[in-house]
Amino acid sequence: MDTTLSETQRLLRESLRDYLSNEVPFDRIRELEREGGADQTLWEYLAGAGFLGLPFTEAHGGEGGELTDTAVVLEELTRRACVIPFLETTASALAIERHGDEALAGEVVRGVISGVMTIAPALQGATPANGASPRVEAGALSGERRFVDYGAEVTHHLVEATENGEPGLYLVETAADGVATESLSTIARTPLAHCTYEGAPARRAGGAEALQFLRRAGRALCAVQCLGNAQQALDMTVEYVGMRVQFGRPIGSFQAVQHHCANMATQTLSARFLTYRAVWCVDQGIATDREIAKAKALASRAGTEVTMQAHILFGGIGYTEEYDLHFFSRHGKERALAWGSTEECLRVAADTLDEVQPWQ
Amino acid sequence: MEFGWNEELEAFRDEVRAFLQEFDTPALRNELANRGEAAQLGPEQTRLREALEDRGWVRMCWPEELGGEGKSQWFQFVMTEEFAKREVPYGSGFGTMVGPAIHRFGTEAQREKYLPGIWANDITLCLGYSEPNAGTDLAALETLAVKDGDDWLINGQKLWTSAADTASHVWLACRTDPDAPKHRGISTFIVPMDTPGISVRPIMTMSGGRTNEVFFEDVRVPSDALIGEVNQGWYIIANALDHERVWIGAGGGLRHIFDRLMAHVREKRPELLEDDVVRRRLVELELDLDVMEGLVLTNASIVASGDTPTMEASMSKIWTSELRYHISNVAMDLLGHEGALTEEADGFAPLDGELERTYRASPIQRFGGGANEVQRDIIARRGLGLPRH
Ligand SMILES: Cc1cc2nc3c(=O)[nH]c(=O)nc-3n(C[C@H](O)[C@H](O)[C@H](O)COP(=O)(O)OP(=O)(O)OC[C@H]3O[C@@H](n4cnc5c(N)ncnc54)[C@H](O)[C@@H]3O)c2cc1C
Repeated sequence: MDTTLSETQRLLRESLRDYLSNEVPFDRIRELEREGGADQTLWEYLAGAGFLGLPFTEAHGGEGGELTDTAVVLEELTRRACVIPFLETTASALAIERHGDEALAGEVVRGVISGVMTIAPALQGATPANGASPRVEAGALSGERRFVDYGAEVTHHLVEATENGEPGLYLVETAADGVATESLSTIARTPLAHCTYEGAPARRAGGAEALQFLRRAGRALCAVQCLGNAQQALDMTVEYVGMRVQFGRPIGSFQAVQHHCANMATQTLSARFLTYRAVWCVDQGIATDREIAKAKALASRAGTEVTMQAHILFGGIGYTEEYDLHFFSRHGKERALAWGSTEECLRVAADTLDEVQPWQ
Repeated sequence: MEFGWNEELEAFRDEVRAFLQEFDTPALRNELANRGEAAQLGPEQTRLREALEDRGWVRMCWPEELGGEGKSQWFQFVMTEEFAKREVPYGSGFGTMVGPAIHRFGTEAQREKYLPGIWANDITLCLGYSEPNAGTDLAALETLAVKDGDDWLINGQKLWTSAADTASHVWLACRTDPDAPKHRGISTFIVPMDTPGISVRPIMTMSGGRTNEVFFEDVRVPSDALIGEVNQGWYIIANALDHERVWIGAGGGLRHIFDRLMAHVREKRPELLEDDVVRRRLVELELDLDVMEGLVLTNASIVASGDTPTMEASMSKIWTSELRYHISNVAMDLLGHEGALTEEADGFAPLDGELERTYRASPIQRFGGGANEVQRDIIARRGLGLPRH
């Protein structure tokens, strides 16, 4: 057991942090949020610097690293509020590489690593209102998915659909005939789309196993995003309350403020353990839906409660558009709902309560 | 003890309902939907406001010395509640807070000069209290007013002056004695916003609304801009209670959110109601609203009996402001990913995006109007008599 970062992970984090703080100012995020779309420049940098290949096998041109490496990168990207389909693309390609169609895997992973291919999972998801289930017949996909992150920005969708009653994953080109995307605006102001497929040409990418992996990896990595938002808000808050003076002293010297900060830090640290453990278990192939759901439930809570508590401690300044705190509270809340909200994840854990074993 | 409403109040409630039936027109709705942050009332709101004034309902519960009729505060309560149920605002913003202060502390000439305009909404106000270094610690304010012959010369900066871009006047707190203890060196002024030397810069907030920074550079005002005695400002500020909104305050809309949530779930997400946990969560929210009602009515009852609530007011403020966050947070969570949609996601957004809008706007009430941390201090020290540390 070792909860600390490896040397590789530390280096990854530092080099990315340097790059982001120099090259991705928050005004760039503001512009993306206003105008829609993903950060293409950043995506090209990540491809060039090798960040996109971390978890893939060397046989496919990847780094052969651990999924936790990718999680460290994802957390760092989240802490800069970056608007790119990194989670979506990585989790999709990994599902195909590890459990999907072998012939397709090489093409997909190479495309992803080089930066030309981006993929959005279009799954049933946890929210039942997520549209009528798509079906595939003779290589043509029809149906609807309500909530597809980056659905309009990516080059491909990886759609959960049934063929002859069997569930599977199907790769569809976003630009293909029969694919329509309509952007939906969310509290995060990051891309989300309502997608409809009408006889769109689809290639089978994997079966039930790939689908299950994608669900688990996506949820665990989304928990990392929740955590990143919480951590960033916590760090900003601790710095701010140490400086902001009211009543002739830093507000961070008030016991009430210190208690809030202590609670925020405890909540974040505990969510960190469960979240990274969940990612690790996915990587090792020993994850259970139950453990991942619990981790996401906890991380969702941290991403919500810690970021909103930060607003209370910042007062007026944190409430303005000009200040950067709202990125983390808005993104934190949206991520808390994506890939299963706290409530939806607790339902998964409740449905599998019989799996609980006495401590031994 | 009595937990019902007497006949007189019930009759009044009917009267208010009939009034709203008449004035809550599509034209008013349209005007309200497009009003933005403006302090100026549109024609429909003005019509409603004038009709209210004609019936004497705006100030009916104020003491006679403040131009009111001294009626039981329950009338005010019933009226506020009925307006809140329909989501029709009836207040004139800060005027109902500043008007009584001018009435009480101003000279006869000042009363004549300002009050009719304030009641008629020809004079609209913004509130110039907060500054970069004076938020929760309001008494630390530094904007300086110096006597110059008969005039006052004002220099400094205000922050978070909402409606400064639309208001005709600012109700301004300035330091007039830098050497006195901080609570004893403040005075209050009423200053036309078009006075030379005042400039306004917008600040946009995460709720989508606008507030402002206001700069004062050698702003010259005549001596009668000062309301009350020199250095009496802190006392005036502390007494400038909002006579209209003090009870229901921020809580009015929360019940609507719950009602809309129930309607949405019944119509669009009936599967949720089959889950016992969801049902229980909804009951918890209902109970949270009951707590709010309890605190609000307890406060109202204290006021109606002629007393001033202290810790009860703090409890109500804390609960209501935290519930605004909690109810939107829980509701979004129950709905899952669709809970994140904004009103721009036409046709898809539950409650037309009201949940995420409420969530985004929820922080301000927890740190504004006396931060909740300070309210808890008040409950512990003034209410429960615990020692200071
Ligand atoms: C959108 C908006 C509109 C506004 N409109 C107006 C307006 O029209 N006119 C006006 O004058 N003002 C207005 N305000 C200002 C508002 O009243 C202040 O934001 C509020 O008083 C808090 O001050 P602050 O923002 O400086 O936060 P700070 O005073 O810096 O406080 C930040 C946090 O520190 C903690 N804290 C501070 N003091 C203590 C203590 N003693 N004990 C424990 N914890 C403490 C609390 O958690 C508090 O939330 C507005 C603000 C906003 C954001």
